[in-house]
Amino acid sequence: MTTAAIKMTKSDLMAPPVAQSIQTRSLFIGLVGALASVAGVFIAPESFFSAYLSGYMFWLGLSLGCMAILMLHHLVGGAWSIVIRRILESGMMTLPMMFFLFIPILLHLPQLYFWARPEVLADPKTDPKIIEIAHSYLNFHGILERYILYFVIWIGMAYFLNRWSTEQDSIAGQSTLRFRALSGLGLVIYSLSISFAVIDWVMSLQARWISTIYGLIFIAGEALSALCFCVVIETILSKRKPMSDYLTDTEVHDHGKLILAFVMVWTYFNFSQWLIIWAGNLPDEIPWFVRRMNGGWGEVGMFLAVFQFAVPFALLLSRQLKRKARTLVRLASWIFLMRMIDIYWHVEPALHPTFHVSWLHFTILAGMGGLWMAYFFHNLRSRPLLPINAPQTLRLLGSGHE
Amino acid sequence: MSIRATDFSECGPVYGLMAEFDSAQELVTAAHKTHEEGYRKIDAYSPFPIEGLAEAIGFHKNRVPLVVLIGGLIGGLSAYALQYWVAVITYPVNIGGRPYHSWPSFIIVTFELTILFGGISSAIGMIALNGLPLPYHPVFNVPEFTKATENKFFLVVESSDPQYDSARTRSFLNGLSPRMIAEVPS
Repeated sequence: MTTAAIKMTKSDLMAPPVAQSIQTRSLFIGLVGALASVAGVFIAPESFFSAYLSGYMFWLGLSLGCMAILMLHHLVGGAWSIVIRRILESGMMTLPMMFFLFIPILLHLPQLYFWARPEVLADPKTDPKIIEIAHSYLNFHGILERYILYFVIWIGMAYFLNRWSTEQDSIAGQSTLRFRALSGLGLVIYSLSISFAVIDWVMSLQARWISTIYGLIFIAGEALSALCFCVVIETILSKRKPMSDYLTDTEVHDHGKLILAFVMVWTYFNFSQWLIIWAGNLPDEIPWFVRRMNGGWGEVGMFLAVFQFAVPFALLLSRQLKRKARTLVRLASWIFLMRMIDIYWHVEPALHPTFHVSWLHFTILAGMGGLWMAYFFHNLRSRPLLPINAPQTLRLLGSGHE
Repeated sequence: MSIRATDFSECGPVYGLMAEFDSAQELVTAAHKTHEEGYRKIDAYSPFPIEGLAEAIGFHKNRVPLVVLIGGLIGGLSAYALQYWVAVITYPVNIGGRPYHSWPSFIIVTFELTILFGGISSAIGMIALNGLPLPYHPVFNVPEFTKATENKFFLVVESSDPQYDSARTRSFLNGLSPRMIAEVPS
């Protein structure tokens, strides 16, 4: 760290102009993708809603993953997390957009969920238990109320963490107690709320199937998406000032280690679910895997096991690969793509027994993603890239050998 | 009776020259300059780990990761082989109609033994590659060196370095403005 870095001011730490040009391009891609997707509602309505749900769960997961890693930063973080804190905050502050993007799902529940179809509920052959659940919990009002509750919780927590962070920029020497208090409580609340949310939105796609580790699989996957996203963004930014002045191999190395850890956690949760269901071999539990191991879906699952776990795991064991942003970013981008396929593999087989992919999957991911990115860069550009009064920043910009 | 290390000069074999510094930063800077000067057989001693010091004396890679990888692979393979041998060859038991070779249930033990063997080999590999146990080391012949575990920082240029020359190395080290320089008797 050079002594010149200590004198950095707010204006020196603003995002480079490249952020503006990526924002413009993202907005363009987002609008084109959104228009094409809207056309898809009329051209291919049977493919639209499942594709929309996959895309939605992926980009929502990225926002929430950013929030979870940010909370982790406030609780335990050091230099590794202060360099990505503004990236995480900007990613988390896309939640208001995700709130509105849920509305199409809310208004078309019967297209996705069997429990919302009147003909299923009227059918005398339907399991009475399903009818009971559809009356008491899984119905339009239940989904609406809980959807509002989840987003009030998430946006509320994100709003305060973000606002306090902005305040910290103008007032030096503040206590960080409120960040830590909200983050500690917030991680617990987030884990519970996301578990309930994925039960409502994804797990309930499959009739009568329950898995208690389901929420954790999403939590691990979302954290993995967020970390990979941070590595991609920091690589773009670190080629230019100001990030080139303070992002070192040591921090990139830490991000690589965390990606390795979350690749392993994701695998651990998925494998636990698979092992318990496989060993139990019970008729209520196996349909989820039977559906996802046949009709071409088994190949997709194997592909994920190899390319979201085995290959990244083996590569991430290398210290050299983890330490350099330019090698780590390739793997991070790859895992980021695998995350999209993972969500697709969770959602799509519930509605299509055989392998099914439509152009709408791509336009929706691109449309939603473009808008997400534009919003993200808009947030990122509004403040310095480092929270200048945070204790970790002062240590980072000071000498490394005190 | 304690003898000043400098008293040994020009009598008996010499291990190297030792320079003492007051702070970690000075030691890292001195180590950098010494390495840049072309000295390769150098070592640094400090009361606590210092980030960047190993790189400064030109120590970039070690073989511990390789030892851990081999240890982990041996652990994983032996665990899987043991379970296969028990469940398929010597004592096959029909459990609820599942195949004898039920790989999903073998994974847990395989994973655990990979971690166990990897962990043990990292500890043993680290100790062995550090050259431990080492009952005798010449640096302790310098009385001031006891401070290496308290508050002083030391840099040693070993006499086995091809560039080592008693007088020239001493004047080079002097240029780094250490607190003191001492010759280390072998």
